[in-house]
Order: sequence, then structure tokens, then C-alpha cells
Amino acid sequence: MTGTTAGTRPDEARRHNRTALLRRLHVDGPCTRAALAGELGLNRSTIKALVDGLAASGIVQERVPMVRTGAGRPSLLVLPQPLAAVVLAVDIRVDRVSTALVGLGGQVLGRDGWNLRGRAGEPTEVVTRVVESTRVLTEELGSRVVSAGVSVPGVVRRLDGYVHEAPNLGWTDVPLGHRLTTALGAPARVGNDAELAALAEHLRGAARGARDAVYLSADIGVGGGVISGGSALRGTAGYVGELGHMVVNPAGAACYCGSRGCWETEVGEQALRRALDLPAHSPRGAVVAELRLPAAPARLAEFTGWLAAGLVTVVNVFAPELVVLGDLFTALPRSVVAEVAAAVAERSLVSRALGGTDLRVSTLGADAKLLGAAELAFEPVLDTV
Amino acid sequence: MSAVLLELEKASKSFGPVRVLHDVDFAVRAGEVTALVGDNGAGKSTLVKCLAGIHAVDSGTIRFDGEPVAIPDPRAAARLGIEVVYQDLALADNLDIVQNMFLGRERGSGWLLDEAAMEEAARETLASLSVRTVRSVRTPVAQLSGGQRQTVAIAKSVLWRSRVVLLDEPTAALGVAQTRQVLDLVRRLAGQGLGVVLISHNLADVFSVADRVAALYLGRMVAQVPIADVTHAQVVDLITAGRTGERP
Repeated sequence: MTGTTAGTRPDEARRHNRTALLRRLHVDGPCTRAALAGELGLNRSTIKALVDGLAASGIVQERVPMVRTGAGRPSLLVLPQPLAAVVLAVDIRVDRVSTALVGLGGQVLGRDGWNLRGRAGEPTEVVTRVVESTRVLTEELGSRVVSAGVSVPGVVRRLDGYVHEAPNLGWTDVPLGHRLTTALGAPARVGNDAELAALAEHLRGAARGARDAVYLSADIGVGGGVISGGSALRGTAGYVGELGHMVVNPAGAACYCGSRGCWETEVGEQALRRALDLPAHSPRGAVVAELRLPAAPARLAEFTGWLAAGLVTVVNVFAPELVVLGDLFTALPRSVVAEVAAAVAERSLVSRALGGTDLRVSTLGADAKLLGAAELAFEPVLDTV
Repeated sequence: MSAVLLELEKASKSFGPVRVLHDVDFAVRAGEVTALVGDNGAGKSTLVKCLAGIHAVDSGTIRFDGEPVAIPDPRAAARLGIEVVYQDLALADNLDIVQNMFLGRERGSGWLLDEAAMEEAARETLASLSVRTVRSVRTPVAQLSGGQRQTVAIAKSVLWRSRVVLLDEPTAALGVAQTRQVLDLVRRLAGQGLGVVLISHNLADVFSVADRVAALYLGRMVAQVPIADVTHAQVVDLITAGRTGERP
């Protein structure tokens, strides 16, 4: 069996256990020593040695729990220390960049953001501003960044963070991972936005604990991230996830990708603007305000149909136990979400076989991609901190 | 064009012989951040106070959702869903975040406050605005940083289902990093569909969050345009001279 430490050298085993323990604390928060031993399948003396080591390096702190359970001496609560490892998370969108410093345990320690207009959206400008923003945030915090994670709405090579195409940003062939690593002086990893949002929802949001889930987001583009068997489905070189370019309407409008009637053209942000009679350049907030009005569901009848049509296929292909709707989809009227869920339950044979696929609205909202980028940055850190 | 929530038409206001606002037209749109800029004494704060029910306009019309309304006092403004956040924020230092967010509007009957429900509502509101920088809603406000305090003051407006939020120099007393945090929140406020008015002296801030800029010059509205249509230099001209020069 893989994953056990049998036959490995003791220092490797210790490192493996240490990483597992840190990951547990980072993702699920403070925990008592006794519970850690149970969850990780390690004996209490091993846990004590690991926790003592981490506490001596200032990575965790121990405290007597406030709420006691059962009799006897209470097991000490182990708390990850946010400042022990701080990463930079960057969410690059078509109209805006958001950044955050995130500490060990997932606490957001500071944030920044700016609109992208005109030249501000060029890769060089974005890199420059990210570096400046990071300097301001780290100075305030008095801590440096050990790693960076970046979410980009486009096709990204995971190995080195090379952005092949981010059409809605107007980027092609940008060695973003390399440039940010150099500019920040810390390793920068880059991922597709929907894939990172799926990661965040899986670790900290609506898909927590799910083995198979699909995250679907609508921004200018529509993207999907897939969790399969408990880990991210990547495809060759990490290119999987362009669910928005699944053709749903062969008679539909031409898409920039070279195809016609892509799902994105029927359920993306622009499709919502058309359905709501908003001008093409109205701000995102105006779309949200319009979706809140009582008249919205009636105006979204056709949109709802296309959303359901695509989702039926997505559920049939990936057989997820749940689908998380993110970003602009979180603002959809509840009745529209219910209608789509009913259509999927009725029309997807995989959903019927599974006894129903759950359709949920994201709990992380607009921060899913940003928090996913933070988790991407944490991946290498937990081994080395 | 997105829906106009709040609109001022030909509004004038004088204090004794001094005419502070001259026939001012002003519109607040749902889901947009409108930056209100102008030199000291241009009438920015007076304009906001007229919308907040602190001053009454001498002449002119105020419309909310297209209907003419009167805003004789702050209560009337609150009833319409207009909330004001001032730079010297009105938070009580000795109370925690939940207590501050519910100050004056506590839930429960008679002597019994429903603490659990208030705590839950406060937590949900902060989550809806993606505020993750505040660890516990039971933290006393005195222990918060300036940025966090301003965050609580702004979040209060969302909790009370306000539709228009007027921010009078919300970052004036804050450092650079804290300012950025608050501006990021201002952006998210508009992203929730609220109409946001931001008074600011800092043009870098204005350009980083606003969708539209409205410039007052000596009590007159000299421009109200999408921010994408103006340059930094043109906004400076509007503030200092009331018009844009013939710059390329």
C-alpha cells in the first residue's frame, strides 16, 4: 500500500508525519493532541515529539482547551501560528486583480485590489503592481512571503506557470510563473482560476469532504474545476477544465475560441447582461443588483434552460456527488437554482443513478479563486516550513 | 446603463448668504462606485449630508427608485436604505463587533436580547462581504486596527440592508495597507449590488475602485462621467479649475 511509511528511513517517516500533521492543522484548524493522534493514526508519543518540535520552532502553539470533554487531564489544543508561514495569493480577473496575504491555517492577514483598465491589464503592469502591493502588505504585517499562488482565467501549464492563452485578458504566451518568481524573490505557482476555486471549495468551502465534485464559475468566461476521487482532475499538463467551451448550441453565436455556441456564450456574464437588458460594459455589481429584483427569474427563462442543458452533460460526464456554483452564479435567484437542480435530477441519467446530484451555491463567494491560489502557494510550503 | 437608485436634480443649498450647492445634479447607480471629488469647500460633504438627512436642500428634487422623496432627517434616510459612514467612525470602543453592528437596533424583546441570532447575523454579513481579516465577532472594537474598524462600520450598512452607502473619506485616517483593505471592501460592497458613493481626495484610490467620477467645483457639478473616459490629469483639472484643459 502506498502512503504508509513502512520501510522508509526514520527521518523520512518523521518528515512525512510532520507534513501530514501540519496539513491537518492548516486545513481543518486547531485540534487537540488526542484527536490528532486518532485522525493521523499515529501514537501519542509520536504526536508529542512532532508537536514539541513544531512548537519549539514557533509554527504551532499549545493551549488548554476552553471547552472540556470527558474526564481526566485535558488534551492540549494545538493551534497553527498564522505568521509562521505567510503566502501571497493573487486572483487575476478580466476587470480586476485581488491580492491577499494568507497565514498558516488559512487566515487572511491583509488584502488589496485594483481595477484593470487599458494598459493596467498588460502582464508587465500587473506584475509590477503585484510586487508593489505585496511590499505594502508585507511591511504592514512585518513578515515576508515564502511562496505565491496566482489564479489566471486561462490555459496554464502547471509545471512552470506559463500562461498559453487567457483570451478574456488578451494574454498569450506569458511566462507569468517565471516573471513573478523573479520579481517577488519567492517561488510563484500559477493555476487556472476554476481549478483553484474548486480546490478552495474542496478544502474550505461548499465541497468540503466531497470525493467527487465539480465547481462551476461564471465571470466574463465560464470555467470548471473538477475534484475526482478526492484530488484535482488535471488532464495532460494540467489543461483540463474548459467546461465553458463545451458546445451547447450549434446554432448559437461564434465564440472567440474558434467554436460556435459554447456554453460560455449562453450562460456567461455577457449572456446575463443580455437577458437583463444591461449594456455590455455595465459593472458586475449592476448585474447583481438586477438579479436581486423580483422580475429577474422570469427574464432568465432562456438562460436557465441553457444552464440546465450544460449541467446535465457535466453531471453525466463527471458523475459528481455535488456541483458548486461560484462567482456570478452565486447571485442567481434561488428559484433559478432550484429549477436547474430539478432539470438535472430529471434529465441526467447519472444523477438518477446516483440518487440525485446536489447543486449548491459557493460559500466562499468571490474569494474562492483567491483562497485557491493561497492553497496552491501552501502546497510546497507545508513540506519545508 | 445600470439602474439609478438615488438621484438629485437641480439641488441648491445655502448657509445664510453662502451658496454651497448650485443646481447640482447627481445620480447613484446600483452596483457602481461613484467617486465624489472636489477641492476643500467644493460642497462634497454638504451634498452627502443632504442625502443623509442632516441638511435639507433649499430647492431641487431627490428621487429614490425614481420616486420623489423627502429626506428631512437621518431616520428618513435610514428608512429608504441610505447609510453614511464617516471618517471619524461612530463605533463604541467598549463594545464588541456584534454589539456595534446592532447598536440601537438590538434584537429580542424587552430585557432579553437574542445574542445568538445577532452574532449569527453579524458573522453572515461579514462572510457575505468576504471579510476574513477579523477572527472573532466577539472581539472588542478597541482591539481592532483602523482598517478593521472601518470594515465593521461599512459591514453594518450591509447588515441593515442598505441600498445606498455614502462613504465620507473612509480612509482619511488610515495607513497605506489599511486603506487598500478598506478600498477592496468598498469594491465588494458595489459587487453586491449596492450603490456606493466614495468621497476621496486621493486620485490613486479613486482610479483603483471607482466606476464613475463626479466632480464638484465651487458648489457646481462640473462632470459626472465613467472613469474609463477620463485621465488622471483631466480629473485634476476638474478639481482645480472646474473644467478639463485641452490636453491630448
